[in-house]
Amino acid sequence: MSTTTPATTPVGPAPAPSATGRARRGLPPGLWQAVGPAAVFVVLFAVTAALQPAILSGVGPINLTTQATAVLLVALGQAAVLHVGSIDLSNAAAAVLGAMVLALALGPLAAAAPLVTLLVMALVGAVNGVLVAFTQVPSFALTLGTLGVLQAASLVVSDNTTVYASANGEVVSWLFIQAFAGLPVAFWFAVVVAVLFWLVLRRTSLGQALTAVGLNETAAVFSGLRTRWLKVAAFSFSGVMAGAAGICIISQAGAASSFGLGSDLLLPGIAAALIGGTAITGGRTNPVGVVFGALTVALIPITATALGVTPQARSLVYGVVVIAAVALTASRAKGAVVK
Amino acid sequence: MSAPEVVRVSAPTPPSSPDPSVTTPPALSLTGVTKSFGPVHALKGVSLQLGRGEVLGLIGENGAGKSTLLKVLSGVHEPDSGALEVNGKPVRLRSPEDAARAGVGIVHQEQSLLTNLSVAENIAMTSGSRAKAATRFGVYRWGHLNRVAAQVLARIGVDVDPRTTVGDLSFVDRQMVEIARALQVDTGAHASPVLILDEPTSLLERDETAVLEREIRSLREIGSVVFVSHRLDEVLRICDRVVVMRHGEVVGDRRTSEVTEDELFRLMVGRDSRATPSERRSREDGGTAVLQVEGLTRGHAFRDVSFSVPAGTTTAIVGTNGSGREEVVRAVFGAEPFSSGSLRVAGKDVGSWSVASAVRAGVAYIPSERRVEGMVGGLSAAENLVLTHPGEAKKGPLLRPRARRRVAETWFEDLDVRPRQPELALERFSGGNQQKVVLAKWLSSPDLKVLVLDHPLRGLDPGASETVNAQIRAACARGTAVVLLPDTLEEALELGDEIIVMRDGEVTARFDTSRETPTALDLLEKMV
Repeated sequence: MSTTTPATTPVGPAPAPSATGRARRGLPPGLWQAVGPAAVFVVLFAVTAALQPAILSGVGPINLTTQATAVLLVALGQAAVLHVGSIDLSNAAAAVLGAMVLALALGPLAAAAPLVTLLVMALVGAVNGVLVAFTQVPSFALTLGTLGVLQAASLVVSDNTTVYASANGEVVSWLFIQAFAGLPVAFWFAVVVAVLFWLVLRRTSLGQALTAVGLNETAAVFSGLRTRWLKVAAFSFSGVMAGAAGICIISQAGAASSFGLGSDLLLPGIAAALIGGTAITGGRTNPVGVVFGALTVALIPITATALGVTPQARSLVYGVVVIAAVALTASRAKGAVVK
Repeated sequence: MSAPEVVRVSAPTPPSSPDPSVTTPPALSLTGVTKSFGPVHALKGVSLQLGRGEVLGLIGENGAGKSTLLKVLSGVHEPDSGALEVNGKPVRLRSPEDAARAGVGIVHQEQSLLTNLSVAENIAMTSGSRAKAATRFGVYRWGHLNRVAAQVLARIGVDVDPRTTVGDLSFVDRQMVEIARALQVDTGAHASPVLILDEPTSLLERDETAVLEREIRSLREIGSVVFVSHRLDEVLRICDRVVVMRHGEVVGDRRTSEVTEDELFRLMVGRDSRATPSERRSREDGGTAVLQVEGLTRGHAFRDVSFSVPAGTTTAIVGTNGSGREEVVRAVFGAEPFSSGSLRVAGKDVGSWSVASAVRAGVAYIPSERRVEGMVGGLSAAENLVLTHPGEAKKGPLLRPRARRRVAETWFEDLDVRPRQPELALERFSGGNQQKVVLAKWLSSPDLKVLVLDHPLRGLDPGASETVNAQIRAACARGTAVVLLPDTLEEALELGDEIIVMRDGEVTARFDTSRETPTALDLLEKMV
């Protein structure tokens, strides 16, 4: 499907590019990292639109951005955690739990409920962060554990059924009803968060410190940075973003369950972060790119339908496109070992 | 250890007495070997011979060219000129595999065994290992592999089960496995292998060293040994002959039966090596110590280390590998723990000590592992510069890139950092320029009290060394207390107002250079 970029394996005369041969030698350094995720999305969108012009009009864009919003939120949280060199496998489970907390809190707390949800989820994220930073358990293992814990918590809270936001649903439902420039307000909120995140990374000492931790944690420690608390901050942000995704779930569905909307956000969230150009090794993140990563992830099923792929084969297309998109956009040092 | 020390199993070929009747060539022979790295002449025409069944000691200060020589012998570096012969055959060693094929094996200073694999697997992993045959179509034949490994170990009398995971072995056992592994080099039918041991005892405890010494002496029956060590008493006990290197040349070649430790000292450091203390400020006794270290202890790493550094003076700590001095200064910076003792910075007892609190108290540390610990290579030079002390490059939580650039440009000018591109990623600068930026990062602190320098000139060219040294002196003159781990004893003698000598985790001597003028010899005596 790629039209902009040739395959990464050099064909023809072998000697020059070899192993690290990135196919973008013509571009100035850093440019592809900035525009790659957008380019991938635009190309995929153009292909889809050519096959299925309907997505350009009517509810097409609204559907796409509605699908993308929750993915974008968890992907931004994931990007923050990846940025400090860790990973958060529990954020999707946290989103579901957040949705349940919100559904239960809406009745008694009304307008304060979303705020409480965000605070609770920030706390959940902070616990993850403290455990990773102070027990030195690798984040992969630790958050795999908290994933299980949060899932169990969801089952307990919901009593293994669906939790309905029985009252005050209007506190959050407007997020996907109101539109700005033709797209749901919730999506724009997520985009604003991405831009703010970008500003924090590029323009604040906090962002610089987070970057230093992701690029070289030892040197960051030896520079006197409080690296542990920086990790806690990243995980807390991931928690808040999961809470925000939980708000989206209630806003869209009015209910939450362990198996319903939002329960499968984990892998799309990671994929969106990576397609957005986030380096899985840490220290290289472009939150604005993650917006396009999330849009791409949300677009893939639509493209698959447009291509006439049977439902059974959709996850195949999904997998292939994710691999291709990550191969094109993921940020990695030249010749570096990628795990 | 009063048993007859030197029992020659086979008489070593004397270095320069060609005996036409006996046609055994020396195990190893070097003639006029030179090697330069850019402007640095690491080896200036080294010639030496190693007889069959001989244990040859190789000594010299840091930077004398020993490591380069070992790298030439083990195929890591090819010499610029000169000839190498192994068992009488001229050889070119272009890779460690070449060296192994020629019959030269090396045991590196840092152990290179894979600790998660078994002894047998590690042994099989060397080039030239007969254990290689223990795989069929890439699948291990464990029985065969373990048998071969057991033979390899038995050859030098090591009593270790080849199935043991290396990580579970004691340090000395690992060392023996390394030796057994290195001895597998392909030696053909008649020749004997040459084994190079690069400071094998530097990390061992004393009693473990005795075990290793016995083993090395018994290696004479199998082959020849080049033994590199900083401990002169050991060299005299173990070796038949000793070669001394200084400044890339062989400056002495003695039979150990005919030489004393003192003479070796002198050969190593040069007779005329006497400190020339430039205008030294005297350490007036009333001067307040900026850094006070009292009874600092952590297990075996260091014990009861005390020193104090007044404002504007430099304390140099010297010692060999494993003397514990690195650990001590890292503890001062909060990067490693200590179990007892106290640290005071500017009179204040530091409570729970961490790097972050050390930095806030005004302690700076320039690590020897610059790329790993000293800098964030992926950030720009300017960003690295302001990472710890942002100063005017930050306003509230916001960064001010333009101010950062200005700050960086000033430092780049002052320290002559090239290229003058502060926005370039620091990893793309050369080592010397990186070190200047790392130094500037700490010097830009508004409140620098203690500057801890762990081999600050390591790997720097003379120009960069001069700049870095000048900056360190200037900081010292401004009243910073400097703790220096120098690369060479000359550096210690030149810069240290006080010189502390450490050995095996303890302070063995201290010299106040304003009152006395120690020589490198005096220091070495206490180091080994």
